[in-house]
Order: sequence, then structure tokens, then C-alpha cells
Amino acid sequence: MMNNNMNSPEQISTNKLEYDVLVIGGGIAGQEASLNLANNGFKVLMVEKDLSIGGKMIHLSKVFPTLDCSACIATPKISETARNPNITIMTYSEVEDIKRNGNGLKAMVIEKPRYVKADLCTGCPICEEKCPVVVEDEYNYGLTGRKAAFIPFDLASPRIAAIDIENCTLCGACERACPPNAIDFSMEKKEFELSVKSVIIATGFELFPAEKKKEYGFGQFKNVIHSMQMDRLLAPTRPFNNVLRPSDGRMPDNIAYVLCTGSRDLSVGNPICSQICCMYSIKQAQLLLGALPMTDVTIYYIDIRAFGKGFDEFYEQGKSMGVEFIKGKIAKIEEKENGNLTLKYEDFENGGKTVEADHDLVVLSVGILPNKDVSGFFKSEPIALDIHQYVKQEDELMSPAKTSIEGVFVAGTSSGPMDIPDSILSAGAASAEAAAFIRSLK
Amino acid sequence: MEQEKDFVPKILVFSTDKISDPGIDLAGQQHIHYSPSVYFIIVPCSAGVKPRWILRAFNKGFDGVFVAADGTDCPFSADCSEKTGKLVAYSQELMKKEGVNPARLKMAAVCSVCALPFSNHMKNFSKALSGLGNIQSEKYIDPEEKEKQK
Amino acid sequence: MKEKIGVYICHCGGNISDYVDVEKVRDVVEKEEGVVLSKTTMFACADSAQKEIVNDIKENNLDAIVVASCSPKLHLSTFRNVAERAGLNPYNYVQANIREQCSWAHTDKPKEATEKAIRIVRACVGRVRYSEALEPFTIPAANIALIIGAGVAGMRSAISLADMGTHVYLIEKSHFIGGRVAQMGELFSTDEKGEEIISDLYDEIKKRDKIQLFTGAEVVSVSGSVGDYKAQINIRPRYIVPDCDMNKLKEAIAECKTEIPDEFNFGLTQKKVIYKAYENCRPEIPAIEKDRFNPDQKFLEKYKDCIDLEQKTETLNVNTGTVILSTGFDPYEPEDGEYGYKKAENVITLQQLKRLIELSNGKLEYNNREIKNIVYVYCVGSRQKEGENKYCSRYCCTAAIHAALLCRKKFDSVRGFHLYRDIRTYGKHELLFDEVSRQGDIFFRFNEDESPVVETANGKLQVKFRDILTNNEEVAIEPDLVVLVTGMIPRKDSSTVAGILKTPVGSDKFFNEVHPKLRPVETVIDGMYICGTCQGPKNITESITSSLSAAAKSNSLINKGEIELEPTIIRIDPEACEWCDKCAEICPFDSITKTEYSPDGQKGKTIALVNESTCKGCGMCAPVCPTDAIDIIGYTNNEIESMIDGLIKEV
Ligand SMILES: Cc1cc2nc3c(=O)[nH]c(=O)nc-3n(C[C@H](O)[C@H](O)[C@H](O)COP(=O)(O)OP(=O)(O)OC[C@H]3O[C@@H](n4cnc5c(N)ncnc54)[C@H](O)[C@@H]3O)c2cc1C
Ligand SMILES: Cc1cc2nc3c(=O)[nH]c(=O)nc-3n(C[C@H](O)[C@H](O)[C@H](O)COP(=O)(O)OP(=O)(O)OC[C@H]3O[C@@H](n4cnc5c(N)ncnc54)[C@H](O)[C@@H]3O)c2cc1C
Ligand code: SF4
Ligand code: SF4
Ligand code: SF4
Ligand code: SF4
Repeated sequence: MMNNNMNSPEQISTNKLEYDVLVIGGGIAGQEASLNLANNGFKVLMVEKDLSIGGKMIHLSKVFPTLDCSACIATPKISETARNPNITIMTYSEVEDIKRNGNGLKAMVIEKPRYVKADLCTGCPICEEKCPVVVEDEYNYGLTGRKAAFIPFDLASPRIAAIDIENCTLCGACERACPPNAIDFSMEKKEFELSVKSVIIATGFELFPAEKKKEYGFGQFKNVIHSMQMDRLLAPTRPFNNVLRPSDGRMPDNIAYVLCTGSRDLSVGNPICSQICCMYSIKQAQLLLGALPMTDVTIYYIDIRAFGKGFDEFYEQGKSMGVEFIKGKIAKIEEKENGNLTLKYEDFENGGKTVEADHDLVVLSVGILPNKDVSGFFKSEPIALDIHQYVKQEDELMSPAKTSIEGVFVAGTSSGPMDIPDSILSAGAASAEAAAFIRSLK
Repeated sequence: MEQEKDFVPKILVFSTDKISDPGIDLAGQQHIHYSPSVYFIIVPCSAGVKPRWILRAFNKGFDGVFVAADGTDCPFSADCSEKTGKLVAYSQELMKKEGVNPARLKMAAVCSVCALPFSNHMKNFSKALSGLGNIQSEKYIDPEEKEKQK
Repeated sequence: MKEKIGVYICHCGGNISDYVDVEKVRDVVEKEEGVVLSKTTMFACADSAQKEIVNDIKENNLDAIVVASCSPKLHLSTFRNVAERAGLNPYNYVQANIREQCSWAHTDKPKEATEKAIRIVRACVGRVRYSEALEPFTIPAANIALIIGAGVAGMRSAISLADMGTHVYLIEKSHFIGGRVAQMGELFSTDEKGEEIISDLYDEIKKRDKIQLFTGAEVVSVSGSVGDYKAQINIRPRYIVPDCDMNKLKEAIAECKTEIPDEFNFGLTQKKVIYKAYENCRPEIPAIEKDRFNPDQKFLEKYKDCIDLEQKTETLNVNTGTVILSTGFDPYEPEDGEYGYKKAENVITLQQLKRLIELSNGKLEYNNREIKNIVYVYCVGSRQKEGENKYCSRYCCTAAIHAALLCRKKFDSVRGFHLYRDIRTYGKHELLFDEVSRQGDIFFRFNEDESPVVETANGKLQVKFRDILTNNEEVAIEPDLVVLVTGMIPRKDSSTVAGILKTPVGSDKFFNEVHPKLRPVETVIDGMYICGTCQGPKNITESITSSLSAAAKSNSLINKGEIELEPTIIRIDPEACEWCDKCAEICPFDSITKTEYSPDGQKGKTIALVNESTCKGCGMCAPVCPTDAIDIIGYTNNEIESMIDGLIKEV
């Protein structure tokens, strides 16, 4: 049972379930689409691959261009989604296959075992304390560690534990310590067969793996981090009390941003622009100037793409706060003995000369890539993808949420790069299309 | 009027749910500082503040009351400023009768993004109130009354 | 009076507890009258904390709760729901804002912040003691939407709403539907034709009984409130006799000689006063610009079966549940002399270029000159340092580059030179930028402080600028045509609409949403939505996305036929009221009328009566009542005054 809704899957004796809409992905787009449909009276099943819903947004610091706290906007939505009587959530679950079934669709969904009984766990977190295994914490993008028995993160929904069986040594410490005896190593995966009328794909995006851009030394040089890590360092739920550079825990005083890392770059196979990284970098720069007033922040860019409502004003605000902008393309980053970094760049404003600059922390503004899971959802009737592997918008201008399969719609970054406002709008569009489609079946 | 050392005037702000309170929230979000002796009561609209609440604040010991008005952004009425202005003027009349300097009541429009202007208002108003001193030592006499007594 | 109050003080991760000593706050508040339970919590809004509060309420039979955390703007409804789940009336909950208005505003003074937090929480405890249990009430709502503006956004929204079961009145100010898209020829990113898109949408609209379309129509007044708006719409006549003989009308058009500038072609051509917006426009019936039409009697007599100049403006009154604004944008019109516009020869705007491409055949010509080289100057009317338009217009980099590609595709060897500040072909549009560069167009970057100069020198069109990318070298180009890549501005007449509907505009003068992330298509007025470019610059896909979003929101509000309303309105004490009519006079919603009051069946008195479905609870009537008979529910004298007392009490 994944939440305290009345109709959680386990309470229904057979594993055959019926819903109006299957929403795949519980990020901001999936939540918004589900809520719209639920408020319209439709029964929604949300399938989330991760241990918690929330997507990327729940982990961000503040959001451009209004600088409101991301978690503070995200948590009420998450809570509203989790509480809505018309929405059932299956976390840690994946869609195996979706087939046409008469007028509607049939979906096979697998719920993976978390080895903790959701209805018993209180999130206390004694298991976490007792577990002897420490591994990298994926929710802090490797900045900190976590246990093998763990609660994913503070704002998780559901906020209950899970056992990372890959890393678990089966020592049993957690099992013995758990007050309500919630830990159950004998749990197995469960299969569900769903009949639905419509499907919304909201599986979001992947971050560009920074290590793929070898010239920049991510993974090799300690003081080269990526932007999602910086957003974590700046978030109210941040792992440390301050922004510290990884090599020596010192506060950085000369930070560089490298825009377009993994975007607009054929050498890594991604020619398009990621649309959000200019803006989130300017956001982080402003937050850094607030958190570390003595710090210099330099942004190396090709073009600053501040195109949305209030964005260019936000860019100007960044400039006036003292963020330095240099139009230059970083060719290579080298590490010095003290952990500082030398950036070699083509200085466009000076005739394209190669120039060097030293910084003590480098943030790679990584781009976004399509989530490749989507093609696996439709084994018998493959869904069309665009040349970049995003879900193809069949009627891009007039019905942007339509896909190649009737009754299947797309929301948020599954169809291409976009920021939170655009993801929310696109989720609204997908829910309108799904609602109209279901009505047309009657 | 005596100038007390370390006197930090206590200010009560009536802010509005949709317009000025979000502006004041924004000041906080941007970590813009103002005096910690500034307190807030949210009302739906600045034109809905009752004069008796204002008088109550002075009677209980607030040194100043500030109405953070909706101004032209008011979601309810285009002439909100005028209406708020009227109730402020009326309250000032009542204050005079009770021997409270009308300068202790101030109104200004604060919009939903007026973070910095709001903190400036607070700075200036605090300064003005410091000049007027603690409400406990208020010796204000209505000039008209004075005239009559002569 | 509530006597079993629970208080929760939130760390907010550290957002609060880094500055406010939350344990100390708890220790003091614990001793307040009525408080039976007080706790601190790491994240009050987290699921686990919510569960804990629910359990506490049930176990301890709490009759009211206070959560001291962030601004009520974020979590008031969250915690009201918590109360409700525990069986407590949601209005017996008060939120104390100790983050935005305390810890964050006083990060420099932790001691004072802690003292302030104590006072705030005490005041809220005082207030919650007087809180009343309230029940929301429902009002009937018509499952009807009025959509203002039949551009792509309005039309697409109408279709979607109809398909979700809502009845739609779609009104268009012009005599022809489609807005700007019909003017733009081939479009990015699909190379579809604007005119075809509009015809297709029109056909879809005509297929649906649920949509009633009115052209030449404008709202003149809107009254009422969500669920029950009343709109008055004026419909201007076309001066064409309905169902007349089209062939005869064609003759009349051929015979008519009066011509006026054709604004569909942005003044590049002339049109007849009896006109169609364009050949395949919808509806296909022509219209007459009467003010500019001075036919002789003979003409009128000859064509009296087709033309009727006596037609009058009609008025239509409609009832509607919601209103959606999709009034679109105006392309920026440069000032005379801005980059040589209207001063130097062969300087046109991007919208004119799009028309020129449509009007040209095989050869691109302007002013009888074949165009081989075009200079594009970007950001005209946008990102202004001095001017009013600080914003980026979002669509124009991509539109200009797409137009440059079109020129190359349709006409032989047209070269583009692009003078830009930043190229903003965001997302997948980047491929267009790559493509046009590959085909040989050249890009120069100029500095915002040093704009290019466009002038006619020695009879030749010349553009001079400094190119940042080549060491600020001065470059001069002599193109055949200069295209000003103009941005989007709010429609000139949008302030009229804003005045009628009372919808707020932002600092950029576009209509403003309540919150860009949480409520991007909603306005501060319940049941009024904004979508498409009237909210801010957008391309077509983005306009449609927002219009479908507005359709979804609008439909889910009214499709049940009723709407739940907040119970926080006013209450009039019949004993105290003496009917002076001051409250009725000040109420902006005309919500107060008079009634007879006779509690004991005896001879009664006249008192004020509030209309509960239109009262917004603004409270403007409360201060003017001479007998203090009006209480704002949720803000009663007891509640406010106990707050005042709590805030001032020494710590
Ligand atoms: C460093 C950084 C900073 C940012 N800052 C901002 C900002 O300040 N302002 C702003 O507007 N935007 C910002 N963004 C962009 C923002 O994160 C995205 O716009 C937003 O998260 C997109 O939401 P989504 O729901 O489409 O995708 P996601 O957030 O990726 O959510 C997708 C969800 O689907 C789930 N999922 C994935 N695969 C499957 C599957 N196979 N089955 C089931 N579920 C699946 C995921 O677990 C996840 O919960 C930032 C992005 C980054 C990287
Ligand atoms: C030069 C140029 C080229 C472009 N090229 C492209 C392109 O290739 N691809 C792309 O995606 N986008 C392009 N765009 C953008 C595109 O034109 C807009 O996204 C689109 O027109 C927005 O549609 P809309 O419905 O919001 O507004 P509009 O098209 O402006 O329609 C608004 C409608 O509302 C009506 N209206 C206004 N006020 C009232 C009122 N008071 N009462 C009743 N009706 C009213 C108007 O008459 C109009 O019909 C281009 C824009 C320009 C300027
Ligand atoms: S599994 Fe047991 S020990 Fe771990 S958090 Fe849940 S209840 Fe606590
Ligand atoms: S948004 Fe900016 S940083 Fe990101 S890929 Fe586009 S141009 Fe580069
Ligand atoms: S989209 Fe391009 S041309 Fe248009 S205002 Fe923005 S930067 Fe300038
Ligand atoms: S509260 Fe406002 S809307 Fe209600 S009756 Fe009073 S003045 Fe009118």
C-alpha cells in the first residue's frame, strides 16, 4: 500500500485494476496532470519509478525567475496529489508494456519490492541508524552518503524506509531494530494488470552525464561539480550548512560556470539547447552572491537564453548584482596542485583568442537528455520518438500533447527541454486532451 | 520631545492577504532586513481595517500603526486607496481626541513585489516614531483643543 | 472559546531554526492559556508530520491548532486539510508566519527574531481561541465559458472546452477569425501554413454545436461573479446582407474603387473598403469599413440586395460561468527613424517580411528592387535599455532565422546577415540556427550600448556597427533590405479589456497570472483565465499549450454545475444595525441590500442584508458602520483584538 488512499492496489484482492487514466511519472508535470484530471472526476493511477514522487523539482534550491523556494512550492502539490481521493500512487513501480485493448489500453505494471512494509513503517528512522553500510546518496547527487536501509530524503512522499538490496549485506541489524517489524526480506515483486482509457507520459528528463565531456574533468578533478549538485548545496534541505568545495571543505571565493555542458555540442551527440541551464545558472549565481558575499562568480556562455516572462529582467538583475558574464567557449579544464582549476577558453569578444583563467570551483551547467525508458513502454505498438529521442509531438502546433498513439499524451520534459512553468502548462494541456479523449469514448 | 536611547518603536502593520502581505513575504524571501519590532496582522483588504483596532493598538502600547494598503492593485475595488485614506483620516481624528499624535498612524501602498520599498517605509517610519518617542510618554494635545482651552 | 489547542513550531529544515530558537518559542507558548500540546517539528508540511498532527488531534481531542511555519500563502490549505482529515473544522486552524516575516527578515538578529516569533505565535494562539467552525457553501455555476479573442489560442481553447462538455461563446473583435497566425505564412517548426491552420480550426469549430462564434464582437461590460458572470457583447455589422448572392457581391467589390491600406499585409498593399481579410479567410463573407466608404446612391441602389449600410450594432447578453482572455499581442511597430524605419529606404519589419515572402513569386522584390542581401537587426522593441520593454520577446530569434531559411528556400541566393545580441533559438529550435549558419548566413554580435546605425548614404542603404566577435571592428554592409526583428507588445486596446474585466497587468503590461508556477493561467479574479500571447510573448505551440491548460482549469471549476465558496464573508448583527446605508454604498460588489427584521413577529425595523454568493469578504463595509454591526468572519473584533494583545504582551 503506497499511500493512505482508500483504493490502494493491495486492498483490491485481484491484481487486475481499472482506472480512467494512467499517469507515468510523478514529477511536477505528472502531478499537475493527475490533479487536473482528478479534480475533473477521473480516476487516476500514477506510476512512479522512484521510491518517492516529486521528480527533480523537490530537490532544487530556489527557482527562477521569482526565486521562491522550490520545495515550498513542490511539497503542497505533492501532498495534494498524495491525498486526492481520485489518485492512487504506486511508487517504486515500472510499466512493462502497454497494449491496445478494444477502445482502451491495457498496461502491465511491476511493483518492485522495497523490503519494508509500507503500511507498518513509521519512518522513525531507527533502521537507518543501525545499518552499517554506507553508499553514495543519489538524492544528493553523490555529495553525501546514505545507508543501505534508508529513508530516501526528508521531503519524500511516502516518507518511509526502503532497503537497497544491491548494497545490503543482509546483516539483519535493521530487521532486529525496527520497532513495528516493518522490514521483510522475503518481499517479492508484484505484477498488476491495468485497464485504462488514456495514458499520460510524464517521465521527465535525464541529466547529461558530466563525465562524458572528458575535457572538463568531472569525476577526475574534485572541484569540478555539476549544477544539480550546486542546487543541492544551495537548497534549504542542503547536505551541509554552507557551500563548500569538495577537495578541502573550504568556502570557494572564485566560482566559474560552464554553460552548455553537454548541450549545443555535436561532439557529445546533443546538438540542441537545453533551454533551462542559462537561467538556472544565473539563479545559482545570484544565490551564491547572497550566501557567500565575498565570492566572485563568472559565467562562461555562448548566448544567454533568458527568453521567458521576467527572465531577461532576471539576467539584468544578475549583472547588476555583480555576476560576471564572459562570452567564451571552454576548451579544456586543468587541475592545479592546490585543487584550483585553470580554464582554457576561446574568448569570443577578443577575436577568439585562447585565454586562461583560474577558479577555485567550477560548476558544469549540464544539459538535459531524453528519458529513454519511454520506448520500453510500448512493445507491440512502438511510440514515435523525434530525432533526439524525445516523445514525438504528432501535431506540434495545434495539439502539442498528442503522441503517435491514440489516447496517449505527453506532459513536461518527456517531449523536450522545458522549465517548470512550461512543464506545468504542458501538463495542463495533456490533461485537457485526455479528458476530451475519454469523453469521446462514451 | 525626549529622545530615549535604545528606543525601538513597536509598529503594527495591517497587511492584506493578496497584495501587500506577499510583498512583505518577498522582503523576507530576499532576506531584506527591517526592524524586528514590526508585527503584522493580515486582513482581506486595507479598506477593511476598523478604526477601533487601530485605537486598540495604541492603547495597548504600540508606538505606531502602518496600513500597508492595496493601492491600485486592490483585487476588490479601484478606489481602495481612497477608501483606505478615509478610514485612516477618520482614525486620526479619533486618535487626536484620545491624545495620540496622528503622525503615529501612516498608510502607504505596498504592492506584491514591493519588498525593498516596504523595508524603506519601515526604516523611515521607525525613525519618525523614534522622534515622537515611546507611546507611554505621549503628551500629544490636539492643537484645536488647546485653542479651545485658551 | 477553544480550550484544547495544539501548537506546532517548524524548523523548516533550518530556514527558521537557524535564526529562531524554536525550542524556546515552544517553552513559552506551552504556558499560554488554552494550549494543551506544543511541539517542534523538522518539516511541518512533510507527510509524516501531517500524520502526526492528525493523530495528535484525534488522541488529545484538540479543538484548535496553530502551526508556526512559513507564510500562509504556501501552506494554509495544507494544514486546513490536515485539520479536516482529523475531523477538526479547517477554520479552527491558524497559521503563524515565522519564516518570511520573522526568521528570514531578521537573519541578522536571532535574539530579537526569537522574541518576535514568540509574540507572533502567542497572538495566533489568542486568535485561534476565538476561531469559529465554518462550513463552505456552494453556489450554482453555469457550465459555460466566454472566450474573448479568436486567435489560435482562443479557438483551440474553445474546441477543447467543447470536447470536455462545456458550452462556449467565442467572440472575436475583428470580422475574421484567426488572429496573427494567418498573417505569418509558413511557420516554424513544422512549415505548416498559417492560413491552413486557421481554416482547419474554423472547420473544427463549426462541427461543434457547443461553440457559438461571434465575429465583429466585443465585450462592453461584465458583471457578476464566478459561476454566474453576465456579459454584454456588442456585435458590429458587416453591412453585407445575410445569404446574399456572392457573385453579385463580387461584382460590387470589383466596381468599388475606394482603397485603404491593408493592415493584413502591414501596409505593404492596399485593399478595397469592401474586403476580405485574405482570400481564404474565415468566415468567407466580406465586410465593409463603413467609415471609409462613400458610395454614391446609384451604387447602393444597384447592390441593395448585397449591401445594407443601415445595419445596426446588435447587443447580446450572455450568462457564463468563466471567462477566458485570449486577446493576443501586437507586433512592435518601430518609431519613425528607429534603425532608419520609415526614414531610410527599404527598412521593414519582420512581420512585413513574412507578408512579402507570401506576396512574392519566384523573386523577392521590394520597392522594385530585387533582394539579394538582407540585414536582420534583432531585439528591436525588446530588451530595451532605455525604452519600456525590458523583456525578451521569445519568439523572434527563431522566427527571424526561420524567415531567413524560407528566403533561401524560396528565392535564389538570398543571403542573410544577422546582427544580434544573443541568439535565443532555445531547445530544439537550435537546429534552425545550425541550419542557417551551415547554409552560409553570417552572424555578427553587437553591444547593447552601441546599436547598429541604419541610413541611406549616397543613395545607398547602409548598416554600420561594431562586431564584438571580431575585436569590436567597425563593419559596414550595404544590403538590399533591412529587416527589423520586432518583438511582441501588449495589444494597444488591451487596457480597455483590462478595464472592463478588472484583470491586472504586470510591469511588462501583459496580463498577469497569479503565480507563474502554481497558477500560470489564472488571474486574481475567480473564474477568469488568461492564455496565449496576451499573458506574455509565446510561439504558437506555447500559446496552444497555455490555452489548453486554461481550458482544463476552467472546465474543472464549472463542470459540476456548482462551485464551493469560502465562508469568510461578512455578518451583520441585526440587533446593532440601524440601516444607514453606508455599507451598501461602499460595497464594490453591490452585495448589500435592505430587509425587514422582526425577530419576535412584532413590528420590525429595516436592516442591512448581505448577498452571500457575491460578497467577497473584502470587509470594506465594516469600518464605515457607525454602530459596528458588521463583523468580517474570520477577522472578528475578538480575533483581531486578541492578536493585537498577544503581539504587544511582554515576553
Ligand atoms: C540543476 C537544475 C536546476 C533547475 N532549476 C530550475 C529553476 O530554477 N526553475 C525552473 O523553472 N526549472 C528549473 N529546472 C528544470 C526543472 O527541473 C524541470 O523543468 C522539471 O523538473 C521538469 O519536470 P518533469 O515532471 O517534466 O520531470 P522530472 O522532474 O524529471 O520528473 C519525472 C518523474 O518521472 C519519474 N520517472 C522517470 N522514468 C520513469 C519510468 N520509467 N516510470 C515511472 N516513472 C518514471 C521520475 O522518477 C520523476 O519522478 C532545473 C533543472 C536542473 C537540472
Ligand atoms: C512576425 C511574426 C512571425 C511569427 N512566426 C511564427 C512561427 O513561424 N511559428 C510560431 O509558432 N509562432 C510564430 N509567431 C507567433 C504567433 O503569431 C503567436 O504565437 C500567435 O499568434 C499567438 O496567438 P494568440 O491567439 O495568442 O494571439 P493572436 O494571434 O494575436 O490572436 C488574438 C485574437 O484576439 C482578438 N482580440 C483582441 N482583442 C479582442 C477583444 N477585445 N475582443 C475580442 N477579440 C479580441 C484579435 O482580433 C485576434 O484575432 C510569429 C509572430 C510574429 C509577429
Ligand atoms: S523500517 Fe522500521 S526502523 Fe526503518 S524507518 Fe520504518 S519503522 Fe523505522
Ligand atoms: S539554455 Fe543556455 S546553457 Fe543551456 S544549452 Fe541553451 S544556451 Fe546553453
Ligand atoms: S527572442 Fe531574440 S530577437 Fe527576440 S527579443 Fe529575445 S533575444 Fe531579442
Ligand atoms: S465584505 Fe466587501 S463584498 Fe462583502 S458586503 Fe462588505 S463591502 Fe461588500
